[in-house]
Amino acid sequence: MTDSTHTGGDVRLSGISKSYGSFTAVHPLDLTVPQGSFFALLGASGCGKTTTLRMIAGLEEPTTGTVFLGDRDVTDLPPYKRPVNTVFQSYALFPHLNIYENIAFGLRRRGITSVKKQVGEMLDLVQLGDKASHKPHQLSGGQQQRVAVARALINHPQVLLLDEPLGALDLKLRRRMQLELKRIQTEVGITFVHVTHDQEEAMTMADTVAVMNGGRVEQLGAPADLYENPRTTFVANFLGTSNLIEAEVVEAASDVVVTAGGGTLRLPANRCSAPTTTGGRLLVGVRPEKITLAHADDAGAIAGGRNRVTGRIVDTSFIGVSTQYVVDSPAGAALQVYEQNIERDSRLAPGAEVVLHWNPAHTFGLDAAQSVLAGTVGDAGLDEAEDAA
Amino acid sequence: MRRLRKNLVVIAGLLTLAYMLLPNVVVMLFSFNRPAGRFNYSWREFSTDAWRDPCGVADLCGSLALSLQIAAWATLGATALGTMIAFALARYRFRARGAINSLIFLPMAMPEVVMAASLLTLFLNMGVQLGFWTILIAHIMFCLSFVVTAVKARVMSMDPRLEEAARDLYAGPVQTFLRVTLPIAAPGIAAGALLAFALSFDDFIITNFNAGSTVTFPMFVWGSAQRGTPVQINVIGTAMFVIAVLVVVAGQVAAGRRKRTDVS
Repeated sequence: MTDSTHTGGDVRLSGISKSYGSFTAVHPLDLTVPQGSFFALLGASGCGKTTTLRMIAGLEEPTTGTVFLGDRDVTDLPPYKRPVNTVFQSYALFPHLNIYENIAFGLRRRGITSVKKQVGEMLDLVQLGDKASHKPHQLSGGQQQRVAVARALINHPQVLLLDEPLGALDLKLRRRMQLELKRIQTEVGITFVHVTHDQEEAMTMADTVAVMNGGRVEQLGAPADLYENPRTTFVANFLGTSNLIEAEVVEAASDVVVTAGGGTLRLPANRCSAPTTTGGRLLVGVRPEKITLAHADDAGAIAGGRNRVTGRIVDTSFIGVSTQYVVDSPAGAALQVYEQNIERDSRLAPGAEVVLHWNPAHTFGLDAAQSVLAGTVGDAGLDEAEDAA
Repeated sequence: MRRLRKNLVVIAGLLTLAYMLLPNVVVMLFSFNRPAGRFNYSWREFSTDAWRDPCGVADLCGSLALSLQIAAWATLGATALGTMIAFALARYRFRARGAINSLIFLPMAMPEVVMAASLLTLFLNMGVQLGFWTILIAHIMFCLSFVVTAVKARVMSMDPRLEEAARDLYAGPVQTFLRVTLPIAAPGIAAGALLAFALSFDDFIITNFNAGSTVTFPMFVWGSAQRGTPVQINVIGTAMFVIAVLVVVAGQVAAGRRKRTDVS
């Protein structure tokens, strides 16, 4: 298609926002999605990610701001004039057309009459060649999802928009379709913008993830970067699990030293997203899998230079590859620890006195003014985060 | 005994079907009768006279043509208006939407004879000449509610994302309506149109009040029943029944064939 040969295929949102009456769904937002990348908008429901996607598609008119595709301002173009296609949450396949005609729909509307070869190629790409004459309702959820992808991709859009495309599938199928979509994206090289509330899905598939909360982008980056260096409590809790300990800064040099619950912890200053001043507050975070658990009797064997927290196991759960421990300590209640089940220490049972220790380089520091619960599963946490925003 | 119990549902079904179809069978049978007097109420002997000369009774075919004509125009008018009303009610939020939603049901709930009388009062007060046009206006009016109800149910159950998907796939507003909205709403519209045709074709009460000197087929049957019933009435009745059955069968066969090609 000639549409895809425009110079520069970046999607650029500039100061874009959307309000419904007094409710602001998306606060003014600047975002650039580089051409050819797999970009994920991640957030809980109601965070504005789908609205943002619909503004790129043209299905929603932005209250303020501009949408650029490459160098072209498409803000005022209706959806049928934008070189952008969408895979809808419920697939929205046309029930009165068979699979072949569903896939050919976009080509036919642009006046292309010889569609046979292209439709055939698309059916092969999504491995549904034998289903061409079926109606959508005769297909399984996963097959319908693939038809929806083919129907959009056949138009060679500059950008493919995916609105929770895997939400209706069961877990196993979802995992398979994630890999399938990633394969297709690599194969066709089109920019994908993917909206999801599933953090694992975003991290497996996307090159870049933008975490949205309360109509704003909280943090944007590569999945590993977001996971290792969260800059807000929302990101720390929404992407995986974090232990957040409230602490007081005692020394702010290239290493920041803090006290919490009577113990001392260190972390590199460049892993603090909040300004650190001596005597100030800081939220110190560490991921559960970075922590090693030692029985209190073995405390002497722990190497020097590691952060240590003493506590008592209150709960353990065995989940095959690992065991999850919940530890109460003076520094914080209900700290999570994940231990690989390599050599299981039978003394590590509820009630046991233990030492949690980890490499200071795996510690991150966050602004203590935020809610510790933001982004956690409970609604209270999300609500608080929205109030703060 | 065991066999009887096993087929109880089938037997009950067949009996109900017979109950529903028996009047039609009688009509059909008596269309081949040669009655002794003016009334075609008792069987005398088999004859195909009436079938060979269906228009042999004065004014019968004229009234039939008029009824078909009115039914066709009433169907067209009520379906076009009703479809638009249904889309408006299902798709848009506007002032008095709730009130209109309930008012639409009123003509269906109101006793026909009341509506007929009030319509006549209205026409007389406005000084309108009774005839073809007053009948047509009345028929469109009472068919409207049925069309709106049938189409609205269909439009309400339609996923609005289908139209968004069409727009996303390069279909402009007109193409979206013609290629997606209309085909998906079509079964509802067709059901509404069929209902409208049937209701208009055999309406007697409202028509009788507002026809003036014009005579439709139901009025002709009623009028002739006072003086004697020509066999031709049974012929027309049978023909209508057979045509309706053929249309239904054709529809079923077409649907069945479509389904088979889908699977192959």
